[in-house]
Amino acid sequence: MAVRTIDVRERVMARNDELAATVRERLAGAGVPSFNLVSSPGSGKTLLLERTLERLGDHLRMAVVTGDVQTQNDADRLAAHTDRLVQAVVTNGACHLDASQVAAALEAVELADTDLLFIENVGNLVCPASWDLGETAKIVVFSVTEGEDKPVKYPKMFRMARYAVLNKIDLLPHLSFDVDRALAFAREVNPELEFFLTSARTGEGLDEWTAFLEAQVRGTDAGAVTHVDAASDLAPVRGSLGAVEA
Amino acid sequence: MSLALEICRITEENVGTDRLGDVRAVVLEVGDDAGVEVSNLTFCLEALLGSPPFGRARPVVEPAEGDTLRVKYLEVEDGGPDDRRT
Repeated sequence: MAVRTIDVRERVMARNDELAATVRERLAGAGVPSFNLVSSPGSGKTLLLERTLERLGDHLRMAVVTGDVQTQNDADRLAAHTDRLVQAVVTNGACHLDASQVAAALEAVELADTDLLFIENVGNLVCPASWDLGETAKIVVFSVTEGEDKPVKYPKMFRMARYAVLNKIDLLPHLSFDVDRALAFAREVNPELEFFLTSARTGEGLDEWTAFLEAQVRGTDAGAVTHVDAASDLAPVRGSLGAVEA
Repeated sequence: MSLALEICRITEENVGTDRLGDVRAVVLEVGDDAGVEVSNLTFCLEALLGSPPFGRARPVVEPAEGDTLRVKYLEVEDGGPDDRRT
């Protein structure tokens, strides 16, 4: 049998990127900043969003699209903290959300009545890095229980993210996690990455986080990001560690 | 795996669902900065292209510049005699 060649020359992500551009255009047209939260499973994305809805829900109109491989557990948890619709996307085995799923979910969201959109991606530090959802920015969440070298193990994700949340810092006194080392690894991969240090459980660092989100909605840079270059930002963390080790 | 599935979708779009069994090779261009571990992608593609609705297709990865990640061309049996033998 003869074999013929079919010329394709198509970018693998072309179709998704077209849809993502459509989503981005819709959100920009409505003036809604959107953040795609990505992480490994168990880093605390859902609890961070629960606390965010609690703190900002009385003055910001937030919409959430949350993806899970199976179950709507995260959507149920989030719905308990808001009267607004929480869109659950069950991917049925897929390890990430794609732009078509977000576009479909947004059909049920009244964007004119929305200040801020969160997309909680499937817990996975590999695949979601490749899929543009039309978001304003990716925010990678990682936690102090995961090891400092996550950024260099999953460089594409940290390269694609504009912001990073280092979560569960309340556990630092019980761990040998080196915050400076983790941030250095992250900066090695993405020098522009900006950080928040948080504990969604205790509330530590959430004032800076919510101030950043409010600034995004206002369209201002004021208080936009918690920079942790300054030693003073890390001092409380180091102090806690030192006390335990002593 | 998600990239591999997308590559299979592009293949299906180009040859048609009923001809997936005729695909012999899926030739890709993958850049060093594409964020893709070539051995992992190849493993996933071998699993997908070697089973129905595909059958005997193999992935071929050619190195490329930068973050290039695209399907370059497909090799498909066309059902006719092989001209090279006649």
